[in-house]
Amino acid sequence: MEAWIESLFKTLFYPILAPIFHPVDKFLNWVDQHPFTVGSVSVTWASICGVGLFVCAMLWVCLILNKEYVNRGRPYKSIWTDLRLWTIISMTPHVLVYFYFTR
Amino acid sequence: MESFIGLHFIDWIIILVYMAGSLMLGVYCTRFVGSAEDFFIAGKALPFWAIGFSIVTSDIGATDFVAVAGAAYCNGVSAANFDWMGSMPAMVIAAFVFVPYFWRSGVFTIPEFLGRRYNAAVQFINGMIWVVVLFFMLAIMQWLSADKLMYTVLGWNPYWTLWITAGITGIYTFSGGLTAVVFTDVVQLIVMYVGGFGLLALSLWEVGGWTTLHEKVIAMGPEYQDHFRILLPNDTTGPFPWTGIVFGLGLVMAVAYMSGNQVIVQRTLGARSEWDAKGGMLFGGFLKAMIPLMVALPGLCAVVLLPTLGRENADRAVPEMIRVLMPAGLRGLMFAALFAAMMSHISATLNSTTTIFITDIVGQIRKWIGKGALPEKLALRLGRVITATLIISTAILAKPIADREQIYVFMQTILSLFQGPVLAILLLGIIWPRATQWGGLAGLVLGVMCCFVLKYTPGLFPSEDPFLFVAWWSFVFALIVTIVVSLLTPREPDEKLRGMVWSSVVHDEEAQDALQERVAQ
Repeated sequence: MEAWIESLFKTLFYPILAPIFHPVDKFLNWVDQHPFTVGSVSVTWASICGVGLFVCAMLWVCLILNKEYVNRGRPYKSIWTDLRLWTIISMTPHVLVYFYFTR
Repeated sequence: MESFIGLHFIDWIIILVYMAGSLMLGVYCTRFVGSAEDFFIAGKALPFWAIGFSIVTSDIGATDFVAVAGAAYCNGVSAANFDWMGSMPAMVIAAFVFVPYFWRSGVFTIPEFLGRRYNAAVQFINGMIWVVVLFFMLAIMQWLSADKLMYTVLGWNPYWTLWITAGITGIYTFSGGLTAVVFTDVVQLIVMYVGGFGLLALSLWEVGGWTTLHEKVIAMGPEYQDHFRILLPNDTTGPFPWTGIVFGLGLVMAVAYMSGNQVIVQRTLGARSEWDAKGGMLFGGFLKAMIPLMVALPGLCAVVLLPTLGRENADRAVPEMIRVLMPAGLRGLMFAALFAAMMSHISATLNSTTTIFITDIVGQIRKWIGKGALPEKLALRLGRVITATLIISTAILAKPIADREQIYVFMQTILSLFQGPVLAILLLGIIWPRATQWGGLAGLVLGVMCCFVLKYTPGLFPSEDPFLFVAWWSFVFALIVTIVVSLLTPREPDEKLRGMVWSSVVHDEEAQDALQERVAQ
């Protein structure tokens, strides 16, 4: 059944979709083979995007979101109940892990 | 390799004490259940720490211990991406974009939120999708744990294991609802951590430490060179290239899972305050970061300690490590940890399936036939009947549904077939006031159709199993469809949107009050 569906979809959709997705795949492969260099240090786009996702999420919570909104409903005002600090504490180990494993 | 692990008397005592303790704690929570709100969302009284613990245990099953360790044995640390890249960024987004709206709107389920924001058809379709998916998952996780884990490792009869665990989890979920599920989850996570970190410590000790592990694995040959590389190249033929991991998993599947999956979000809906709901999500992310340490790293250690195991037997990495490394007593604790993972996963899914079934299926059908909302007592009684029916029917159907090859691919494929579109309409529903009910409906239905087309049209992506790419592109497609159809249809009245969209909640206190009044009615 699954093979029949695949065969039908390949006939119907492959000619339309392949010209859309194949150039995207080629572009990503090209990006992958051209690391970003800062001075003599070469950094892969994989590590920039991977670590960047964590860092951007942290910056978004700590710098862009309204402080009142982030902490709305907290039981008492203290640095330990500030969810911006919680975000940093919970994200930092991930940043270090991805930095370590993508060096 | 069909040899079973024998248990010492002390191991049996530990497992029995754990099982009896879970049952007693769960049944004790019955005293806190007096209404449907108590049963489905714990009376909105959960503190952040209980939510955090519960989110992690709801997400991690016993089979994760075995399968992730097996994947780490074969593919290295990239197997940990689902618990790192696939969790924390998504949980931060869930905590600050989605959870506040869900919590403030006072809904029981995510489909119910979509129903209020869009229309009843979106709620019903989304509810149906989740009930079917969760039913399959409930059956699959019961059979996998009983057959692939307890039978393979201990030689226990899978039917006995299945009915005993179904019986215990069914009884406390039936009696205590979400409160029982959450508080047994707290105990179960502690047991899981003790067992899991015990295995990790013994594994690393036996190998000779992290540096030695690294050197020995790399020295084993060319196929092990990427074992310490977490993001693999885009043109890899395996299912986890970095582009799929970052965009498909990190930005779509994980966000959809953490924000749109009832099993995860239901805990935050039961939070005693908005701060507890957000804090619980962040705390859960922090706890979840440790999961790969106890499920993936023992798999890496097994590469060195059990080199003859072979890739075809990789899923036996953890059982073999338990046999080789753990003494009596600790072995019982480790199996108690596996039972903890198994029971918490089942009870969480069971309670969430019931909640969606009552709220979004039965509730909608009653409205359509003109009977109005379910009375409180009837909802509670019906919730318990559905819980019992679900656990019995999934236990009976577990083997026919789950006894197939490549079950993990099957599960991931099911999830990838609707998560992109659901995330697209959830996101637009909150951040874009112009999104209309018809835009949401078209985005959901056409988005799911797009998933099927991408999944079953071969040769579009380099990966052999491109579910991560299916999730990403179906999300993009559903976004476009929702925007286009919304712009072509009349905008929603302001009164319907008050308190439901970003701008009206972040900046408008009156809107929040209006929303709370609406909930109170």
